[in-house]
Amino acid sequence: MTVVESAPDLLSPRARRRRLLRRRLARRPLALIGLGVAAAFVLAAILAPVIAPYSASTTDFDALLAKPSWHHLLGTDELGRDIFSRVIWGARASIQAGVLATGLAMAVGVPIGLVAGYYRGWIDPVISRLTDVVLAFPFLILAVGLAAILGPSLLNATIALGVGAAPILVRVARGEALALREEDYVRAAVANGAGDLTILFRHIVPNMASTLLVQATVTIPTAIIGEAVLSFLGLGVQPPTPSWGVMLADAQSYLSQAPRLAVYPGLAIFLCSLSFNLLGDGLRDILDPRTTR
Amino acid sequence: MAGPVLEVRDLSVRFETDDGTAQAVDGFSFSLGEREVLGIVGESGCGKSVTMLSLLRLLPATAVVTGSALFGGTDLLAASPARLRRIRGREISFVFQEPMTSLNPSFTVGRQIGEVLRRHLGLSRRDARARAVDLLDLVRIPAPASRVDEYPHQLSGGMRQRVMIAMALACDPKILIADEPTTALDVTIQAGILDLMRDIRDRLGTAIVLITHNLGVVADIADRVVVMYAGRKAEEAPVHELYDHPQHPYTIGLLGAIPRRGVERLREIPGLVPRLSEPLPYCAFAERCPRADSRSRSEVPPLEEVRPAHFVACFHPGSE
Repeated sequence: MTVVESAPDLLSPRARRRRLLRRRLARRPLALIGLGVAAAFVLAAILAPVIAPYSASTTDFDALLAKPSWHHLLGTDELGRDIFSRVIWGARASIQAGVLATGLAMAVGVPIGLVAGYYRGWIDPVISRLTDVVLAFPFLILAVGLAAILGPSLLNATIALGVGAAPILVRVARGEALALREEDYVRAAVANGAGDLTILFRHIVPNMASTLLVQATVTIPTAIIGEAVLSFLGLGVQPPTPSWGVMLADAQSYLSQAPRLAVYPGLAIFLCSLSFNLLGDGLRDILDPRTTR
Repeated sequence: MAGPVLEVRDLSVRFETDDGTAQAVDGFSFSLGEREVLGIVGESGCGKSVTMLSLLRLLPATAVVTGSALFGGTDLLAASPARLRRIRGREISFVFQEPMTSLNPSFTVGRQIGEVLRRHLGLSRRDARARAVDLLDLVRIPAPASRVDEYPHQLSGGMRQRVMIAMALACDPKILIADEPTTALDVTIQAGILDLMRDIRDRLGTAIVLITHNLGVVADIADRVVVMYAGRKAEEAPVHELYDHPQHPYTIGLLGAIPRRGVERLREIPGLVPRLSEPLPYCAFAERCPRADSRSRSEVPPLEEVRPAHFVACFHPGSE
């Protein structure tokens, strides 16, 4: 029997895989830019008290609707609040809603999808048809409806967005479970006496992790835009708490005098969701199992 | 030879699908003695794998299995799912045909072997890992202490099949069922794997059922051979007896299809294994058989002992 010894490599397999993934990331400049910008937004949200030159509610009555200057980098709004600071503070609501809603959607959607895809039987068509019914409503309409029922607050908006995004994750998890349960290693595990829980959590979930990660990075920007829409409509973050959606709503009255009031939060929403989308696209290419070697 | 470790009686497997029924195994019986290596031989689609999978109830829900399979006082075909899970991998284990895809790509081989040990023997993580290294050594993987931390994609096909065997042997099972373990491997590696299986039987006393379509593989390692055709037993004999005095025209056909030095042209058996929706009321091989006559086409030939320990289901047995 021939033994092919690989060249002595001092790195552990895990470290080698990490190095491979890093190299692949480096070859995708758009994904790198996405990662950088997304990380910047997350950092801004976390470090808002440190970075923001003013608090979100500090009013400067000497500079109402002021133009950009060294004092107020992006100018001020109708109450003299610093727009640059409010954009930074606003990142908190957006990132929080984006990440938590996505986490909630995964926590709800993945187990349901796993049950449908793994056990099949009568439960699969029931779950699948229910998912189809929910997916028939556009995501934002669904979220607006749920938020209206739950009442306006950031938490309720997050719940509404999470529940609204869950059906897509049900579908993704079901499809993956359906494919993975037919894998030879699942059959081998059954032949070795593994029970359903072992198969689900040792053989199916770990192998769908990269798909779920990609799906998460795609769901985050959707939820960020969703939060902005809900807050704009008054169903999410309530003034005076800063949020990009609230800022857009406030800017409406001053659109002709000071369009920048709407431009900057709009730009923030655009850049933030674009960066997460670019990151998601990149991750999909990088983690594609067909190119794992 | 002591009493059999496995006694299968009158096993039938039928698949109920949307396209109608398919009879895969029809009244098949065999026994497996302690420390015995039993070869089950036949063409693709003759029911070899289905027979073995049905014993541990690993077939999809569309399969209807009847008969009995006694293993240490338990009828495997009637055992509870919980009892069955304790038998699978601990007392009877499987090695499958596809080493390339039978390991979970997300975990190191050590953890996968350890998973079986922890489940069945309740070992701690540390003990399971130590035992995994021993097992890799047992299946002759070089540098087992470092290989144990590698992922399946880092191993060659032959190595992976050795890992699968190590996993199957982890709990010291009484029976190892190997379903075409060498088919996906190249020839030099095949010999190594067969050698390893023989060694395992000698050292650990594990009874082995080897499923293959290759009579050459069987000659190397088996004690006794069962030839299957269209879900039925065609012939059964100790391995040398079978090679020296094949009786069934199908066996003779299979032996004629082994490449040999000095033989210019391999003989083939014309036609294909029939796909059956019902058990045939006559000899299933009649369509392809040079010896078939009107009786072959109207009655099922019974299994008869034509020489000591040599059984044939044919109305016209005999070596050519």
